[in-house]
Amino acid sequence: MQKISQNFFDLFGIPESFTVDLELIGEKYRDLQAKFHPDRFAHADEQEKLAAVQQSSYLNEAFDTLVSPIKRAAYILTLHNLDIEHVDQSELGMDLLMEQMQLREALDGLSKDESAMMELSKLKTEVTGKLQQKQQSFSLDIDKGKLSMAKKRFYEMQFLTKLLKEIEINEEQRLGY
Amino acid sequence: MSLLQISEPGFESPVSTHRLAVGIDLGTTNSLVATGCGGRVEILPDLDGEYLLPSVVQYRKGSPPVVGEKAKAAAVADPENTVISVKRLLGKSATEIKNSDTVGRYRLDPSRDEKAPALLTANGSRDPVQVSADILKALIARAEDFLKGKLEGAVITVPAYFNDAQRQQTRDAARLAGLKVLRLLNEPTAAAVAYGLDSKDQGNVVVFDLGGGTFDVSLLSLTKGVFQVLATGGDTALGGDDFDNVLAEWLSLQVFGGKKLDLGEQSKLLHYANQIKHQLSDLESVELSYADWSGRLSHDQFSTLCEDLINRTIKTCRRVLRDASKSVGDIDNIVMVGGATRMPAIRAAVTQYFGKPPLTHIDPDRAVAIGAGVQAEILIGNKAANNFLLLDVNPLSLGIESMGELVEKIIPRNTTIPVARAQEFTTFKHGQTAMKLHVVQGERELVSDCRSLAHFELRGIPPMVAGAAKVRVTFQVDADGLLSVIAEECSTGQTAEIQVKPSYGLDADSIEQMLKLSHEHAQEDMELRALKEAQLEASQLMEAIDAAIEVDGGLLTKEEARVISSAITELKQALDKESSGRIHEQTEKLNKVSSEFAARRMDLHIGKGLRGESIDAVDQSNK
Repeated sequence: MQKISQNFFDLFGIPESFTVDLELIGEKYRDLQAKFHPDRFAHADEQEKLAAVQQSSYLNEAFDTLVSPIKRAAYILTLHNLDIEHVDQSELGMDLLMEQMQLREALDGLSKDESAMMELSKLKTEVTGKLQQKQQSFSLDIDKGKLSMAKKRFYEMQFLTKLLKEIEINEEQRLGY
Repeated sequence: MSLLQISEPGFESPVSTHRLAVGIDLGTTNSLVATGCGGRVEILPDLDGEYLLPSVVQYRKGSPPVVGEKAKAAAVADPENTVISVKRLLGKSATEIKNSDTVGRYRLDPSRDEKAPALLTANGSRDPVQVSADILKALIARAEDFLKGKLEGAVITVPAYFNDAQRQQTRDAARLAGLKVLRLLNEPTAAAVAYGLDSKDQGNVVVFDLGGGTFDVSLLSLTKGVFQVLATGGDTALGGDDFDNVLAEWLSLQVFGGKKLDLGEQSKLLHYANQIKHQLSDLESVELSYADWSGRLSHDQFSTLCEDLINRTIKTCRRVLRDASKSVGDIDNIVMVGGATRMPAIRAAVTQYFGKPPLTHIDPDRAVAIGAGVQAEILIGNKAANNFLLLDVNPLSLGIESMGELVEKIIPRNTTIPVARAQEFTTFKHGQTAMKLHVVQGERELVSDCRSLAHFELRGIPPMVAGAAKVRVTFQVDADGLLSVIAEECSTGQTAEIQVKPSYGLDADSIEQMLKLSHEHAQEDMELRALKEAQLEASQLMEAIDAAIEVDGGLLTKEEARVISSAITELKQALDKESSGRIHEQTEKLNKVSSEFAARRMDLHIGKGLRGESIDAVDQSNK
């Protein structure tokens, strides 16, 4: 039986790396859930049922973390005992801050109606491209053991991911969701 | 009528190793119950061969509730005491019920709490949980009569979009009806299972479920027997009933010129509107005649009247696709569920949006119950699960109230369940030993715009300096979508005591109380039955002895006859007292004092039989 504290990568039986095979993770996830989901314990006693709920929850958390690039990156850093909650301004660098400000100004400057959809889409493509670059760098840095570099990449990824989310919310507002 | 006659061919009665479990679709308008039989899952009919049980309950003074078709028929004549669409009332406050009840159908008990409303009926106050339990009891009775055994569990379906309070109340209703819930299953997931039965489909399926009172859209990904919900959305205040209402309003304007109508007239008009809606599913246009008014309504006119409602359904589809990061082209199949999807206008709108026609080959009224029946069979262990698994999501974000009445999201919507998320809190005063948490559900930023779920009070935090105590609160949502909260003080490992006050409906104590009452009633019922049985046994014995004395009274001495006769008198007295225990006692006594007599009769008749005379002849000769 899996341990609730088991490393997510070990849980899925895959090597600890930022580069992952999403299809393989999906397969392993479904196999494990088929064993541990509370539905498999529908007529077990309360104790076993509760254990199944906890194990299945842990499995869901592991899957959710591993399939999301930003959560996966954060998880890898915490496995290396890096504190990602507390940010030292000096770790971020001026270049990152400048770029962020520019992108945000671009987003805020767009008109508030549907006419901005094209611009939003362009901005989205730009930010997505930047994010992919940062992810590649993060992967390389981690593999080479350059942890402080990786941590800086992570913050960059975090900024870009948040920005992407905001762009999407902007799209939704204009589409009247 | 024999029950077996109305079953379909190939429908075998269950074998003894089979454990009895059912799937229940507890619908706004109609409810169904399904079970596995002979390797298939079938909807169980009532004695008249009807599959749909109208979710209508009539309460009359001093008599048991009337559920189903009869209650539905009574809804027009006795609207005050007949509860329809009770599912819409689950998890609602009195104000919410009043606001949504435009025709003034529900009479609320003014003595009840705003957050735990009940309806006034001729048989006292009934809250939505009790009414739902009465519907469940009717379904349980149908299933147990049919299967000739006690149910061991049930899967009950709920709209995917049901919040925690609505789910909790559905579970409470099952408890009150004495039913073990194996799982609360989301209706669209159940429907997808029903459609996925014969096919080894892989891909993305959208389930469009427009029931009587609720609307759900779910997007599922099917992979090797695993049905994983990617996103779900909906509107718990949109359903087929709304189309009736729109039509009834239009009719009211045509027939009465917008004059205010009494409840009886409104019920009649609504009933008529419902008929017209059904006719328009098959006909291009319908001749209308109501009172002394007549007119005509075409299908296109009806579609125009309902345009806003239809647009709302498509808007939800867009939202769900976006939440799942899918586009229309990624969708392999669309499944239609719920009676209201029979409306051609709905089918046309769905076909237009997705660019392909939806699947409709399973009766939209039955798909959910069949899916629930399949899941019940698997959960109870009658059917091998193999890789079959249903992974649902929580439909609404769960959060807690933070500073400035803002919501801090803990578990975002569309997270696969079960899920646990922990959050650490600290004390802000020296020696603080208690903490309050307010849990809300919803997507909005402000607490007031979300739905309050419960207030949690943590006590027994060890007194420390401000900020030193760290309380780790774990929010756990189980596979039914129900929330529980566990709190632990991190530095000492001490579990904090949690008091839960649900914001809607009844708290655990009230439910316990209701359960106790229903158990007491069950006790009364059992006693009544024991009495009836004892009375029957006693009178049968007395009749037999009377008849025997008439025939063979000569076999008894005077003293013996006196003893038997006095035992009969005592038994009659016991019968007047209506106590099953005493009746039993006296019956036993009479049995004992008359046993010698019975033995002598036996000898006599056997003796006569041996001499070649039949017992009949002996009887004749003695007359």
